[in-house]
Amino acid sequence: MTNGALQGVKVLDLTHHISGPYCTKLLADFGAEVVKVERPEGDPARSMPPLINDEPGPDNSLLFLYLNTSKLGVTLNLKSDRGREMARELARQSDILVENFSPRVMPSLGLDYQSLKELNPSLVYVSISNFGQTGPYRDYKATDIVEYALGGLMYIFGENKREPLIHALHQAQFRAGTNAAGGALMALYHQRRTGQGQHVDVSVQECVASGLRDAVDIYTYTGAVRHRAPEASGDMRRMRKVSDGYLLPTPSLAPNLNWPDIVEFFDAPELDSDKFNTPTARLVNTEELGQILDRVFLTKKKAEMFYAAQKRRFIFGMIQSPEEVLADEQLEARGYFVDIDHPAAGKLKYPGPPYLTSGPPWQARRPAPTLGQHNEEVLGQRLGHSGDDLAQMRAAEVI
Amino acid sequence: MPGPLEGVRILEMGQLIAIPWSIKMLADMGAQVIRLESCQRLEVYRRSTLYRDKVDGEYWNRGGLFYEHNRNKLGITLNLADENGRAVLRDLIAVSDVFAENFTPRVIKNFQLEYEDLRKIRPDIVMVSSTGYGFTGPWANFGATGPSTEGASGLAFMTGYKDGPPVQPEIPYADYTGGEITVFAIMAALMHRMRTGQGQFIDVSQAQATSSTVPEALMDYAVNCRIAPRIGNGHPSMAPHGCYPCQGADRWITIAAQDDRQWQALCQVLGKQEWLQDGRFASMAGRLENQDELDRIIGEATRDWESHKLMHLLQAEGVAAGAVLDTKNVLFNEHLKDRKFYQVVDHDPSTEMPPLPYAGQPWKFSATPAVHNKAAPTMGEHNRLILGELLCRTDDELAALEEQGIIGYAPTTPSQPPIQPPLDEQVRQGRVQRYDPDFQEQIARHFGIG
Repeated sequence: MTNGALQGVKVLDLTHHISGPYCTKLLADFGAEVVKVERPEGDPARSMPPLINDEPGPDNSLLFLYLNTSKLGVTLNLKSDRGREMARELARQSDILVENFSPRVMPSLGLDYQSLKELNPSLVYVSISNFGQTGPYRDYKATDIVEYALGGLMYIFGENKREPLIHALHQAQFRAGTNAAGGALMALYHQRRTGQGQHVDVSVQECVASGLRDAVDIYTYTGAVRHRAPEASGDMRRMRKVSDGYLLPTPSLAPNLNWPDIVEFFDAPELDSDKFNTPTARLVNTEELGQILDRVFLTKKKAEMFYAAQKRRFIFGMIQSPEEVLADEQLEARGYFVDIDHPAAGKLKYPGPPYLTSGPPWQARRPAPTLGQHNEEVLGQRLGHSGDDLAQMRAAEVI
Repeated sequence: MPGPLEGVRILEMGQLIAIPWSIKMLADMGAQVIRLESCQRLEVYRRSTLYRDKVDGEYWNRGGLFYEHNRNKLGITLNLADENGRAVLRDLIAVSDVFAENFTPRVIKNFQLEYEDLRKIRPDIVMVSSTGYGFTGPWANFGATGPSTEGASGLAFMTGYKDGPPVQPEIPYADYTGGEITVFAIMAALMHRMRTGQGQFIDVSQAQATSSTVPEALMDYAVNCRIAPRIGNGHPSMAPHGCYPCQGADRWITIAAQDDRQWQALCQVLGKQEWLQDGRFASMAGRLENQDELDRIIGEATRDWESHKLMHLLQAEGVAAGAVLDTKNVLFNEHLKDRKFYQVVDHDPSTEMPPLPYAGQPWKFSATPAVHNKAAPTMGEHNRLILGELLCRTDDELAALEEQGIIGYAPTTPSQPPIQPPLDEQVRQGRVQRYDPDFQEQIARHFGIG
């Protein structure tokens, strides 16, 4: 195992579910020492689908296995005095604490920033929550769909005449995790230079709202409220169905096209017409153009056309299924998928480095911990609790 | 107050979103950013979303997309086709901690700006490249847009209405995912450099960064050979979970009932106690099995509600719910206002633009908050400051650089940007939902401007 970029950074991870664990996974895979604290019954993500062979079990959630690589795992009941005491002790020894409870929880446990700051003034304390630690929606509940709605992304997502749509899976949570990890390191950078810690308050809603291109600027610049775009069938960039999937045929970022080139490349002589050879003409005859394009594309093959287009420097893209992503030659060349052997789950294929670097590389240093796997190592050896102590705490359901 | 990154200098050769957005975040937090531009090849975003759609005069200083992604940066123009321009660039590299760019490897190689070239000038530099598919590999020089990297990642395939084709949002989404991981990558590299004195080359693939956020779909195939179907706004283990119509034109509410208690509270708030008697909906398993019917009856019940009012009532009862905010609603949202998320920025008087609010950061720092905002630079705004004060070029040398067209203040071939159709026409086409002729007064009032 090589040293990571974040070697020597100690992280206390009081997170569960997705956003917090993704934040601490990024830190851990790049070399920070992360101690993940779970409640004695385990992170609820341990039962999140999809499961290996659909079989329930604490080490069968693929999401959990992915989100918790490179971490040490301990169990602590934070509702007990002894549990909180040990969390405080771990916080005293840490550079960064990450939590993603709803904003009332940490203060109710006496583990809020103000209390821990007394103990460790240089602690970087990162909170991830649905709407942030302040404001009228502070205690509102949310899942991704609510965050997309209140973050402004949903309204401009989907068909013009249908209900707005969200991304599949858990995008808002992953974005919050990434932003929290970046924010944590900015605060740590300041801490390393000045010794000063601070509270970093990450809001999932604001993670969504901070990346809307010019959707809001269109209002502040022109007074127009952007809508989900209508089906403009002749739009050259529109996603098209091909015989074996979907293509994103953007010939150019500019509206001006070298039309004879396009006609030749699409091998569609019927497009060779004054009706289509200027941007204005294409707008006027958009429906007819759309019908021809729909017909032409249905005869094409996805990968074939993608590669042929790139050869001509047309910016085509293609929609890849998970199966195709796993076989993607580009990711293969970049060594993206890695095998990780887990004591209970076995050897599985995982998505690997989110980026490559010439510096200390990304590395899954260990598989996700089994429940309480490192109680002895962390609570025993590091905090100095004896085997008897630990047995007692186990009996009292503290760990 | 200085931000946490005070003293870090970043030289940015960015375009569009992926790099400009990430470097804006670092600028907001106190890094000094020098944004390189070219008069010969005008940044596309200076031509888009022009203030009041005015295409005359110095339109390149009124581009909303540029202002949105380049706040708090210093701006310099340089002609890199000229050796004298490249000499200035080398001098800037020598005094920079980070060099960030999002061009294809082909371009970077042509300009001799690869990591090995940079290291000869500044041995501990952190260089970050952000491309659609990565700096290495068979697709390295493939052109890409946000939709195509989202398409390649696996995310778009999973997304869409039930039984429909894949659907993507109206923004280049994966650019932001790539941008967020870039912020992390630069900070991890700066932490490593602080400890060891060593720089590094960071190679961000926007597609790869996005694949890293869909692990459950990729592993489900790798392990179970299964690809989950597209389920629209549904959820694999929660029902109801959807988007329902409300009172008014194109008004919607999202509701996610996470357990039996939230389901019961939902029925109470909607005044539909009879649903509690319906055996089909008594358990989560039953609600999942009958979710089409459930979505239908909820959609009928929400139709007469005002979306915000219903959201507040549901949240008061502990039900996850959110009104679907349009692009004006989000700007005027009471919660974001309370958190001062949108931040008002003054523009250079020459632009004749009033102060305007822009989206802030996804975090709040208690000790070293984001710096006071300064608008993105007008073209060449800081040529003299950077060349004169930072690189100690004399007035004569500056005049010579201007004379030779190495630095400038306007595009060399200012072709007119496309003229947008009138707003009434855009409403008719459906691209715009509505517009407010008095938007300037509304914004000024809400944000206390002027």
